[in-house]
Amino acid sequence: MAAEKIRQVQLVGRKIRELRKEHKLTQVELSSRLGIQQSDLSRMEKGEYRVSLDTLFRILAEFKVSIGEFFEGVAKESITPRDVQLVQSFNALSEDVQREVEEFIAFKRSKEGRHEAGPDTMRAWEADE
Amino acid sequence: MNGAVTFEELKSRGEKAVRAGQLEEAQDLFDQALTWAREQGEQPQVDLGICNRAAVVIEMGRGDGEVPHLREILVRNVDPFICQLAAYNISRHYELTKNYKKSLFYARIALERAGVLGRRDWLASSHNLIGNTLLAESFIVEACREYEKALEHAPQEPTAARGQILDNLGYCRVLQGRHREGYRLLYESLRILKRCGAQRYEISVRLDLCFAHLETSRLRLSHRHGIAALALAEAMEDQASIKNALYLLGEVAHLSDDVEAARGYFGRLHRDFFPDAGYLPEFLLAVDIRKLVNLHA
Repeated sequence: MAAEKIRQVQLVGRKIRELRKEHKLTQVELSSRLGIQQSDLSRMEKGEYRVSLDTLFRILAEFKVSIGEFFEGVAKESITPRDVQLVQSFNALSEDVQREVEEFIAFKRSKEGRHEAGPDTMRAWEADE
Repeated sequence: MNGAVTFEELKSRGEKAVRAGQLEEAQDLFDQALTWAREQGEQPQVDLGICNRAAVVIEMGRGDGEVPHLREILVRNVDPFICQLAAYNISRHYELTKNYKKSLFYARIALERAGVLGRRDWLASSHNLIGNTLLAESFIVEACREYEKALEHAPQEPTAARGQILDNLGYCRVLQGRHREGYRLLYESLRILKRCGAQRYEISVRLDLCFAHLETSRLRLSHRHGIAALALAEAMEDQASIKNALYLLGEVAHLSDDVEAARGYFGRLHRDFFPDAGYLPEFLLAVDIRKLVNLHA
C-alpha cells in the first residue's frame, strides 16, 4: 500500500553510505564507478541531492543487493519510537474515537493545504489550457 | 542575387525552421549557408555558420563532433557575438550530455559575453542555462535565482523561450513545496508553449504538471498530464521524457490503488530502458522515490 512506502530520502542516502562502507569503497571510488562527482555522492548520502532515474538505477545495480535487503534497514529506521507510540495510542482508542481522530487529521491536513491553489483556481487554469 | 544575401537568406530560413521545430530542415539550410561561406572564404560567416549548424545538431543530440570546432572559435575569435554563440552551444551540449559542471563553466562565459553585447534575450537564455545546470545538481535555491533573472531579462512576449523559463522555475517551486506558485508558473508556461506550437518543450511542462499534481494528490489531473506528456514524447522520440512519463504514470496508478496499471507502466520502464533491472517493477511498487528523483537531471 502507498502508505507503507518509504519517503525519507535522507535515510536512503544514509543507506547508500552504509552499503558503500560495507563494500569498503571510498566516496571517490564509488563516485568514479558511477560516473558522478565525489561532491555529488557526498550530497546524495546527506539526502541533499536528487538524481535522474538513470543514476538511481545505476547506484542500485552497483551494490548488487536485493531490493528487500537494500531497503530493509531504511524501513526499520523510518519508524521512530514516537511513531510506534502514536500507533499504540491510536489502537487503544474505541472505533468511534478512532474515526473522530481520523476526521480531525483530515481537517488539519486540509488546513495545511490552504496555501495550495484552490479548486476554483485550478479549474480556471485547466479550462484556460 | 549577391553572395551576402544568399548567406543571410539561408541563415534566416534556417532560423525560421528552428523556431518551427523543423531541426532536420534547419540543419540542411545551415549546411548550405556554411558551404557558401567557406566557398567565399568569409571567416566571420564561416564561424557564424559553424555556430548555427552546431546549435541544431546539438539540439538533436548529435553534438559530440561539434564541440572541438566551437571551442576553437571561442579561443580564436574575439567577436563577443560569435563567442556568445559558441560558448552557449558548448554549454548546451554539455547540459544535454549531463556534464553539468562543464556546462556551467561555458554558460557563465556565454552570460558574460551576452552582458558585453547588452542583449537581453541572450542574458535571459544564459541565465536559464545556468539555472538548468544548478537545478540538475540539486542547487534549487540558486537555480531559482537564475531563473528569476532570466525572466527579468526575457522579452515579455509569449515566446517558447519564456515558456521554458517559466516551466523550469515552476518545477523548482513545486520541489520547494510552494505549490500554488508552482502551478501558476507551470500553467502559464503550458499556455505559452501551446500557443507557440512548441510541442518539443510542452513535454517537459506536462511532466512537471503531472509531478506537481502527484505531490498534491490530484491524481486525476496528474494522470491527464502524464498521458499527454507520454504521447508527445513518443511522437517526438524523446527517450528521456518517455522514461520519466512511464515512472510518473506508474506512480499515479499506484497511488490510485490501481496496482495492475502501475505494474504495467513500471514493467515497460524495465523492459524498454532498464532491461538488466528485473527488480524494477517490484522495487517501484515498494518504494516511493519521488523525493529522490529529479525530472530535470
